[in-house]
Amino acid sequence: MQYDDLCDQCEEWMQPYLDRELDDTERAEAEKHLDGCGYCRKRYRFEESLRIFVRQVCSEEMPPELKQKLAALRTPL
Amino acid sequence: MSEVTPTEPQRLATEARDRVRFEEEALELSDQVYRVARRLVGSREEAEDLMQETYARAFRSWRSYTPGTNLRAWLLRILTNLNIDRGRRRQRAPEMQPLEEGDYFLYNKLEDSSRERRSDQDLVVDRLSQDDVVSALSAVPHDFRDVVVLVDIGDFTYQDAAQILDIPIGTVMSRLHRGRRILKTALAEQTVGG
Repeated sequence: MQYDDLCDQCEEWMQPYLDRELDDTERAEAEKHLDGCGYCRKRYRFEESLRIFVRQVCSEEMPPELKQKLAALRTPL
Repeated sequence: MSEVTPTEPQRLATEARDRVRFEEEALELSDQVYRVARRLVGSREEAEDLMQETYARAFRSWRSYTPGTNLRAWLLRILTNLNIDRGRRRQRAPEMQPLEEGDYFLYNKLEDSSRERRSDQDLVVDRLSQDDVVSALSAVPHDFRDVVVLVDIGDFTYQDAAQILDIPIGTVMSRLHRGRRILKTALAEQTVGG
């Protein structure tokens, strides 16, 4: 696997690609490159699993009593 | 015979119904709002206070919400404004180090330090603990963390994050880029010693 100029471009696209913020043309180009480049594909997969992991471990459930406190703030009927 | 116009009572009844609907919808979103709030501040107590202030203000100013628009983003805009008002700016200014390495650097570091070849998934899950990630995220300076939390935990678009924080979309992108880099640098330090 050879790191080349297209890999540079693909690296720049990684964050907006995973954020679904690339335009159609850029996304198609990124995917075309990823199809043929194991080097970039591994790094994209890693980034994606890192994001999923970060989201999972940083997601803390709301305490039930807080929900009750919030409901109590509603305007009385 | 004079007719009693029902307009005013009807208007009040409609308004009460709209308000109740607004309050119910806002409460349904509270779990999702809390998940973001919890990572914008340092402690559970702060998050709970901030949520109560946010919902109290939202319920008071419900008329300024435009039905059909993104209510979760509207609530988060109140919340982030309150958070800034709470004088959170005690934190030191972030060190603006140049970003020399590319976006692949954490993978490359972990791969270099792996003795055996494992799957990409293992590279993350085996080597990073929940405490590592939570403490690394909490150490990201506020301006950057706000954007990372909104996009990565709250799943907001760049445009939504720009509106919530009242900053240009280009600033969202640059802060996100830098914030994620700071986070990954911290994770690299915790797992492979930088």
